[in-house]
Amino acid sequence: MTTSAQNLTSRNERVINTQTLGALPSIEYGLIRAHVFASLVTLVISVLFGILVATKFTFPEFLGGHGWLTWGRLRYNHTQGIFFGWLGNAFLAFFYYVVPRLANRPVLSRRLGWFLFWVWNFAVVLPGWVLVAAGFSQPLEWAEFPLVVDAFVVLAFVLMVFEFVLPFLKARLSDLYVSAWYIIGGIIFTMLAYPVGNLVPELVPGARGAAFSGLWIHDAVGLFVTPFAAAIAYYLIPATTRRAIFSHFLSLVGFWLLFFTYPLNGTHHYVYSAIPMAAQKGAIVASAYLGMAVILVVTNWLLSLRGSSGTVSKDVPLRFVWFGVVSYLVVSLQGSIQALMPVNRFIHFTDWVIGHSHLAMIGFASFIALGGIAHLWQRIPGTRYNERMMNWSFWLLAVGLTLMVTDLTIAGLVEAQVWQSSAPWIDSVRAVGSYWLVRTLSGLPILAGFVLFWTSLVTGPRLSEAITSGTSRVASESIVAFENVSPASATLFSTDWLSYAHVVAFGAGVGFFALSFLVLAILPGKELEAEIKQVAPVTMATLTASEQRGRVIYGREGCAYCHTQQIRSLAADVRRFGAPTEPWETKYDYPQLWGTRRIGPDLSREFNLHSRDWQLTHLYNPRLVVRDSVMPPYPWLFDGSPSQPTQEGLEVLAYIQSLGRARQLSGFDHQTLASSVQPETPDMAMASEPSARATPPTVPIAMMGGYSLTAPVLHPASDRDDLQEEVSRGRTLFAANCASCHGSAGRGDGKASASLLPKPANLTAALFSDERLSSVLWNGVAGSAMPPWRQLPTEDLRALVAYIHSLHVPGATPSTQEATSLNEGKPLFAANCASCHGDTGAGNGPAAGALAPPPTNFRLKKPTQERAWDVLENGVPGTAMPPWRSQLSADQRRVLVEFVRSLYGPPQENSGQ
Amino acid sequence: MINLIVIAISAIMLALLLVWWRWPAFRVWIEAPKYSMLRQERRFDAGSARR
Repeated sequence: MTTSAQNLTSRNERVINTQTLGALPSIEYGLIRAHVFASLVTLVISVLFGILVATKFTFPEFLGGHGWLTWGRLRYNHTQGIFFGWLGNAFLAFFYYVVPRLANRPVLSRRLGWFLFWVWNFAVVLPGWVLVAAGFSQPLEWAEFPLVVDAFVVLAFVLMVFEFVLPFLKARLSDLYVSAWYIIGGIIFTMLAYPVGNLVPELVPGARGAAFSGLWIHDAVGLFVTPFAAAIAYYLIPATTRRAIFSHFLSLVGFWLLFFTYPLNGTHHYVYSAIPMAAQKGAIVASAYLGMAVILVVTNWLLSLRGSSGTVSKDVPLRFVWFGVVSYLVVSLQGSIQALMPVNRFIHFTDWVIGHSHLAMIGFASFIALGGIAHLWQRIPGTRYNERMMNWSFWLLAVGLTLMVTDLTIAGLVEAQVWQSSAPWIDSVRAVGSYWLVRTLSGLPILAGFVLFWTSLVTGPRLSEAITSGTSRVASESIVAFENVSPASATLFSTDWLSYAHVVAFGAGVGFFALSFLVLAILPGKELEAEIKQVAPVTMATLTASEQRGRVIYGREGCAYCHTQQIRSLAADVRRFGAPTEPWETKYDYPQLWGTRRIGPDLSREFNLHSRDWQLTHLYNPRLVVRDSVMPPYPWLFDGSPSQPTQEGLEVLAYIQSLGRARQLSGFDHQTLASSVQPETPDMAMASEPSARATPPTVPIAMMGGYSLTAPVLHPASDRDDLQEEVSRGRTLFAANCASCHGSAGRGDGKASASLLPKPANLTAALFSDERLSSVLWNGVAGSAMPPWRQLPTEDLRALVAYIHSLHVPGATPSTQEATSLNEGKPLFAANCASCHGDTGAGNGPAAGALAPPPTNFRLKKPTQERAWDVLENGVPGTAMPPWRSQLSADQRRVLVEFVRSLYGPPQENSGQ
Repeated sequence: MINLIVIAISAIMLALLLVWWRWPAFRVWIEAPKYSMLRQERRFDAGSARR
């Protein structure tokens, strides 16, 4: 060091040492250690929950036998564990370290601190986890812990105000550092926003409640996680580089912009929903502003790191923070772009959003929190610290997270692509199966990284004395320069009124809380209330007690996390699920179950979509009816088989079958039977448009006489080679979509057949006409578990027709004796069968219209002798067809068998147009 | 709604920039906390070292 520099440093030292700042306030190291330990324990447990959740996408049966370990409850505990257990404890540890430094006063009370520790961990995190696992939860995103736990969360935030905000109020500092602003603002805002976001949706139903939920979904990240992570970054960067941040002015501009715009973002989770468009667009604009605010904040952080690349690479805690800063920029810009309508319509509900949220919660918040913990840990006397292991932890986490986010982003794009097409929903699940496996594997280095982080704090050399980070010469020069100038500013900026800066921060929390709820929840809520009053049918029935209980179970099991109950005003949604959800449809939904993610299809119009036994079989084990489903099984809702549901199973069934009932019974939708070609739906579909009211392809359409004039007739190829190709293609399609009910050989003996009534058709036991097969594939069979498949491409449907034809083994031609019996059969048929099957056997008898499934049309379906005999002997359980062995003699039945087989002869072909 | 947000944010930004540009003393005052934070950090480090 040169002589002049030494002189300068010496002079600076004198200036700094002559400051009269009093004795050092005490720091509660015991509480810091306790919160660090709690944060790491809960982190590892929460990540394990997450890995189990991810694994279940690939192996849905894995640990699926008991409610405590089902997907939905683990998912609740994963996110709440990360939020309260990991991040909450990490932030609290940091507060105990930094508040005495920033306020120059100790925190209010050690005893209060330990009380807060116990409340946070043993009245919030632990009981929250246990209650959710036991089935007591709230089905709202980021608010899954039950209300009784929420009361303790609010208590904890009140305690935080006393413990951490009060020291600032008492200190009356004239120069409040930006980290303090974030800590005060974050605590106050969350204390107010949390109860409103958790309680109000229980009291305000449906779309109005969703407006409040949307706020909390974003506030949880934007006003709990972000301010505290920002406080750490703003503290740790200068503390490690030993240089002041680039601009405190910019840091405060960023603070105000973040606090102004974050709360206004909430409704961007419900773009294209029933929430008034003005609120949606306001949230989108606020999201764009938020992106700009984040650019400002991150620029300030990165400029504060200028010339410190060596420190970033050497100091692992600072590297964690640097990674967090970069992630914050990426994730925030991504968030702003996602909110834009042209992007949102495509990627919302997909895994892209899950990748986004992991980048936010791990890449941004967790990396910065880890950096904060590692930084303060080295400054606690007597602790251990293993730098090598910490370095490994960083790289494992960085690699694992990058892989996870990349994988989920691509998976989201793949899902979005399938959802835009007319392919069946299950195709989107199949398309991302391999991505889900990679996502699970990417969780392993992340788990290993967290475990190594923990290990690095309990191994390695014991730090005999804390690291001292003496202010660098550069900083000392700056401080002196500031000391020389500041007297001049004192005349204009009197410290008397400036000492109330923390009060301004306090007021900011309250003010923005009020503003966001007014603008995005209360005002749109009023508008929705008026609309519901005007539009809702006066006869709209509430849910029955059984359906209400089923709704609670539906929420408890996390169904809303995979199945939305909101059809957005988008062509892709409308074509698939029906008219957009209107606010009045949700007027009895306490709390709303709109959902923000789709693994399975939207369920808001489930009424009359599937038969009762299909629903029960699906609940018992979804793969019995949908081979590639990843939905968890719910065997605890049954007594050993799908046909023996418990009371709870029946209640869930009742609730699911009530979804969309009010709309259908109110006649809002016109069941357009002539829907072989669906009318063009505009990109931005309105519920009132006729095109939005056409029957979606998943809804069965009743047929008369066993076939539909509106269904196109699909003839397999006449060329032999082409036919072979079609049969081969049909076999694959059949195995993927039909075999779970009809069996791999089409004998009606699939895994689901045991619990379905009527049984799935034995496709080898009859000859079907092209008209019959086409109509069934197109319309489904009302009154049975057979759904329509008209969302499949025509080539696929044709291939299925070809394959099903190939299953039939032709019998012998009728003999002379059989021809005689045809004459005897006619009067027998007319006397006993024609009332249902019609005079000509076309399934159009006088009683047919009231029967579901409809009577067989023998002109389109020719059963084998064995099958026809069996039906006459035993009837067809689950249909109106009775056994005839007590009414008709064996000879009569033999005559009838031949007679009905003789009726086969397809009608005049229709074009289907 | 959009107008309200745009006007409010623009007004806040404009006011802050105006104050920053017109009053150099404000600039000094608003940057002060970043130095006091470093001073505090130094005091605590020195205190730790003494222990």
